Amino acid sequence: MSVPLSQMWAVASYVIRQKLAGRDRYPLVLMLEPLFRCNLACAGCGKIQYPAQILKKHLTVEQCLAAVDECGAPVVSIPGGEPLMYPDIGRLVEALIARRKYVYLCTNAILLSEKLEAGLFRPSKYFSFSVHLDGLRAEHDEAVCRDGVYDDAVQGIKAALRRGFRVTTNSTLFDGVNPLRMREFFDEMMDLGVEGMMISPGYSYSKAPDQEHFLRTQRAHDLFSTMLASPKKRWRFNQSPLFLQFLMGRREFECTPWGNPTYNVFGWQRPCYLLQEGYAASFKELLETTRWENYGRRSGNDKCRDCMVHCGYEPTAVHHTFSSWRGFRDTVSATLTGRF
Amino acid sequence: MTDATLEGWAPEIGSEISLEEVVDRAFDYRGNVTVVKGDGTETVGYLFNRNRDAPVPFVQMFDLAGAGPYTIPYFEIRAIRFTGRDTAAGKSYAAWLRAKEAAKAASEKDSGAAPSRGA
Repeated sequence: MSVPLSQMWAVASYVIRQKLAGRDRYPLVLMLEPLFRCNLACAGCGKIQYPAQILKKHLTVEQCLAAVDECGAPVVSIPGGEPLMYPDIGRLVEALIARRKYVYLCTNAILLSEKLEAGLFRPSKYFSFSVHLDGLRAEHDEAVCRDGVYDDAVQGIKAALRRGFRVTTNSTLFDGVNPLRMREFFDEMMDLGVEGMMISPGYSYSKAPDQEHFLRTQRAHDLFSTMLASPKKRWRFNQSPLFLQFLMGRREFECTPWGNPTYNVFGWQRPCYLLQEGYAASFKELLETTRWENYGRRSGNDKCRDCMVHCGYEPTAVHHTFSSWRGFRDTVSATLTGRF
Repeated sequence: MTDATLEGWAPEIGSEISLEEVVDRAFDYRGNVTVVKGDGTETVGYLFNRNRDAPVPFVQMFDLAGAGPYTIPYFEIRAIRFTGRDTAAGKSYAAWLRAKEAAKAASEKDSGAAPSRGA
């Protein structure tokens, strides 16, 4: 596993504090979307289909920080939209680092070399670029519906690594993915020198144009089992090994929809990063007034039935790690051996 | 996903469909709508939120200039028309694949039609 020790400790001590305080529902990662605008229009993405006046809107840095402070999660992920198109992204990242938040800036990396050249960011143990790559060149360019993006992203990764930044990748996998090609992809990312990789099955956004290629549960288990069978020691994943075991069908977890709350220009999104069933004006209102019993597999909600996405199940895996000695032992064992 | 869209829809609330259902459709719609209030005034914009569980159920909108949010209680809504372009319609993955295949075929045709050296 490749999460730095200081980050592991920050998350672990935070979770233990929540447990000691008797809090059942607490956030781990704030998904902060300062804008919806993007320089790509991927078929699997339902995030960018809005009228022009909405795509032109963005949060102020002050709004972002107020959300971060209210939420209190130790990790802040900045997806979007494309966050490198956010005019105040440098100032926002600086302010988050000053608050000792672990920041993942999720980018397609098309603009990464340019922004690095402009000196917008400085390396920090609190800050990582999380570059979106859904596979090798052919697969990624097809997933993002534009040729040449993979090469741009690789150039961006190299430029960031040269300057001493932490760089991870995030991959969303859809039905039809070739597991052997993904294994080649893992090799290639390790050759590039990224710190770690994040993988997750895609979710069937009701508004995403590509509905036919989202993974159903059993096919997802088959894919991840094949892909992660006998994992190479050099592969490093920037996520909980228990979550990977869940993807492989080796663990049963229930969703933790409040684990990765989402804040954007509309407010606090109910109930999670993927479903849009309304917005709350504050994080407190989100936690207290969302009918959580209506979500997750056990709820019987059709929208949740086949969902195995990281934003709902990774918080469950982390919670499981700190809920019992067995969970802790399993996590440590998988982390040390690199086997799932 | 099909390319079916609600663009241009102007349902008659009450007879064919309830207000709650129309609000839900407007909330799911990825285009601007026109909300007509009981007093005849209209608000045009993006309806991004609705809460029917609130003590006074309401919708929230950003107008065409992006200003807002404007909150309108359900009881003030007389009609909702789906007047803006549906930004989610007609952008299917299959369409992208077709365009890509067409571009590839055109490119192959062009290179095949070019005379080779010495021809």
